[in-house]
Amino acid sequence: MARESVSKTFIVAIILAGLCSLMVSGAAIGLRSKQEANKIRDRKKNILMVAGLYDAKASVEEAFQQIEPRVVDLASGEYVGKDQFDPETFDQRAAAKDPKLSITIPAEKDLAGIGRREKYSLVYLVKKDDKLDQVILPVDGKGLWSTLYGFLAIDGDLNTVRGITFYEHAETPGLGGEIDNPTWKALWADKKIYDDQGSVQLHVVKGAADKNSPHQIDGLSGATLTANGVTNIVKYWLGDDGFKKMLERLKAGGA
Amino acid sequence: MKSLRQFMDKIRPAFEEGGKLERLYPLFEATDTFLYSTDEVTTVEPHVRDSMDLKRIMTLVVYALMPCVFMAMWNTGYQANLAMQSMNLTAAPGWRGAVLTALVGYDPNSFVANIIHGALYFIPVYFVSVAVGGFWEVLFGIVRKEDVNEGLLVSSLIFPLSLPPTIPLWQVALGITFGIVVAKEIFGGTGRNFVNPALAGRAFLYFAYPAQNSGDAVWVVADGFSGATPLTALATTNMSTGMDAINVSWTTAFLGIEPGSLGETSALACLIGAIIIAYTGVGSWRIMLSMLIGGMGFSALLWAIGSDTNPMFLMPPWWHLVVGSFAFGLVFCITDPVSATLTQTGKYFYGAIAGILTILIRVINPAYPEGVMVAILLANVFAPVIDYFVLQANIKRRKIRNGT
Amino acid sequence: MAELKIKELLWEPIINRNPVTLGVLGICSALAVTGKMQTALVMTICVTVVVACSSFAISLIRNQIPSSVRIGVQITIIATMVIVVAQFLEAFLFDVSKQLSVYVGLIITNCIVMGRAEAFAMKNSPGASLLDGIGNGLGYGLVLMVVAFFRELFGSGTIFGFEVLKSVTQGGWYVNNGLMVLPPSAFFLITFLIWAIRTWKPEQNEED
Repeated sequence: MARESVSKTFIVAIILAGLCSLMVSGAAIGLRSKQEANKIRDRKKNILMVAGLYDAKASVEEAFQQIEPRVVDLASGEYVGKDQFDPETFDQRAAAKDPKLSITIPAEKDLAGIGRREKYSLVYLVKKDDKLDQVILPVDGKGLWSTLYGFLAIDGDLNTVRGITFYEHAETPGLGGEIDNPTWKALWADKKIYDDQGSVQLHVVKGAADKNSPHQIDGLSGATLTANGVTNIVKYWLGDDGFKKMLERLKAGGA
Repeated sequence: MKSLRQFMDKIRPAFEEGGKLERLYPLFEATDTFLYSTDEVTTVEPHVRDSMDLKRIMTLVVYALMPCVFMAMWNTGYQANLAMQSMNLTAAPGWRGAVLTALVGYDPNSFVANIIHGALYFIPVYFVSVAVGGFWEVLFGIVRKEDVNEGLLVSSLIFPLSLPPTIPLWQVALGITFGIVVAKEIFGGTGRNFVNPALAGRAFLYFAYPAQNSGDAVWVVADGFSGATPLTALATTNMSTGMDAINVSWTTAFLGIEPGSLGETSALACLIGAIIIAYTGVGSWRIMLSMLIGGMGFSALLWAIGSDTNPMFLMPPWWHLVVGSFAFGLVFCITDPVSATLTQTGKYFYGAIAGILTILIRVINPAYPEGVMVAILLANVFAPVIDYFVLQANIKRRKIRNGT
Repeated sequence: MAELKIKELLWEPIINRNPVTLGVLGICSALAVTGKMQTALVMTICVTVVVACSSFAISLIRNQIPSSVRIGVQITIIATMVIVVAQFLEAFLFDVSKQLSVYVGLIITNCIVMGRAEAFAMKNSPGASLLDGIGNGLGYGLVLMVVAFFRELFGSGTIFGFEVLKSVTQGGWYVNNGLMVLPPSAFFLITFLIWAIRTWKPEQNEED
């Protein structure tokens, strides 16, 4: 068969396509379970880190045993049963985009600038000696350039911050990107979220925080707009539209 | 003085071809022509028609910059003393504080105290620019066997004037190094740089150390003072506060009595400089005019359109002119004849592009309160293309006129 | 294959015919993945594996490929290699694959891979093509590593994540250079590298 004939061209193309698709699908299928496990492990690792329970040497799976994931209905603040959403498999990112599982936020309420919000959210409870030690809330919202995705860990008293972390963002390295800086993140610990009237007071200031204020966090130099974004995320997700109802229920001992 | 001349003449053979220090000739030549006017004359025809040489052009620019230099010292000192007064501080820290306490004190109403306070910040920054910039010029001059010329004096004066007074000196050294080496010497030295070296150095610092250099940090040299530049104040405020966020009047901003870069705050000082360089023809009035019209026109358009969320839209055109470094860039940076367009028609486009881009970056881009520097650098890059199109259009027109 | 030729195939693309500094190819990814040495190293390995394997495979069947569809055949083979490599990364080096994100997938569009396939593998034996692929991958990787070394050292004060210059934000003395963290800084560094190499080997200069 001549090298340049039509039939030869077809044969070469078909054989090659067959071989290549075999290789690609083989790799994809063979490695899928491992990749899925990686993704879940990565998320769990982030949760453990914000809770201060991460140990690079210990197994993530084991450490995660201390954490109890639940799905919560944000409108009522009540937990949703496992029959409706399994917290192990609930995909919150997808839910936020699904018209059936999310609501449009009116512009005047949309502090975080996300447009739509999922109706149900995951929360993670850390218990110690049968008492609630920490609640970990997933938060997201607009920074300067990008949407920030993170976790906020709150103490068992439901008013004191334990930690904050942003695991995904695309802010300017060295400016807004400093929200990753461990020194800055450490400033959040022991700050109070609500005042006596129950409104969210926690915020990032411009410049240095007032040392006597329990609600202020030092600003990030050169990143006022990213810092404003973080403040807005905190205000939105801890406010009435966010997790406040759930936190109040937890406080009352219910939920 | 005569003995100095004799000394220079005596050591000259050592530096000339075949001499022991032949390689250092550029250094000798630079020192010699700096001290005395050159004895080299044109020996063949044609002679130049006027006495305008590179040295005279550069000297004129330096004169034109003097009002800005004055403001760099007085305003920096005044802002610092004012801030200290408002915070009830009686002494500044460090060696500057020691000098000031001993000599003049910190009264913002005292002209001398302000000048000295400002000078203690400006002079070191300027000195580092000249020394480090000069070092690279001489080094490249020696390696390439070329003369060092006066272009450096201008670059190393514009550069410090564009810096915030709070800048650490090592950043000054890095910035001027980048400007001179990367923007100028790599491309063959004076006359071959396609962007303005001072601006390139400034841009380097802006992106390398944005926390200190992008205008978000406090630019008043008093410890613990918080007060933003007018542009940053407006960029980070909300819609309801609007223009009230700028706590200086238009006249004050025009005079330049506000926090900002060392020598860029005063539109008035730049105006005086503009008159000098436009009258002597050192800088092109066409570029200055078109950048002014481009900037004012585009900001008027945005001002008319308005916005519900972006407070920068509230700034009227006449304010754009007096805040930030628009005036300084318009007079001293964009007019640099080496990096500007060469054709007269091209100059209008070149200036207009820079003006429009400046306003675009200022108003629309959320991250950078000031856009003059980046806008001019971009216009520099476009200059050869603009010239190309102007020439092509000219060729086409002539073809039509002459019927091929 | 003579001993000399093996050496030549492997070493020539590293300095003398470096695909990045002489050919100015693969610049896109050289800007994107050189912020940290770790990602640069993984990228180097990925590209080397892809170039070597695809060149070898293409050379193996070079006499069977009809010229009318040869580009399509090359692309198919290269794309297959890239996808397989990306899948392995995701399974075994998840953190790095997250940082490299789309750039592993974009190896398909890296001119070096396609260039070696078309210019070398189509005309030479599988063994030589394999060596040529490894050489070019390493040449590309060398530039990546040099650029990443400077960017990570001056931008973050670390090398392979180990702290070398203690930064001010961590309570040290070094002020991180933000420009080095931004991808455009790789342009400057690659330019300096080309300048250095052409000063050392003037024969690489293009004629005016």
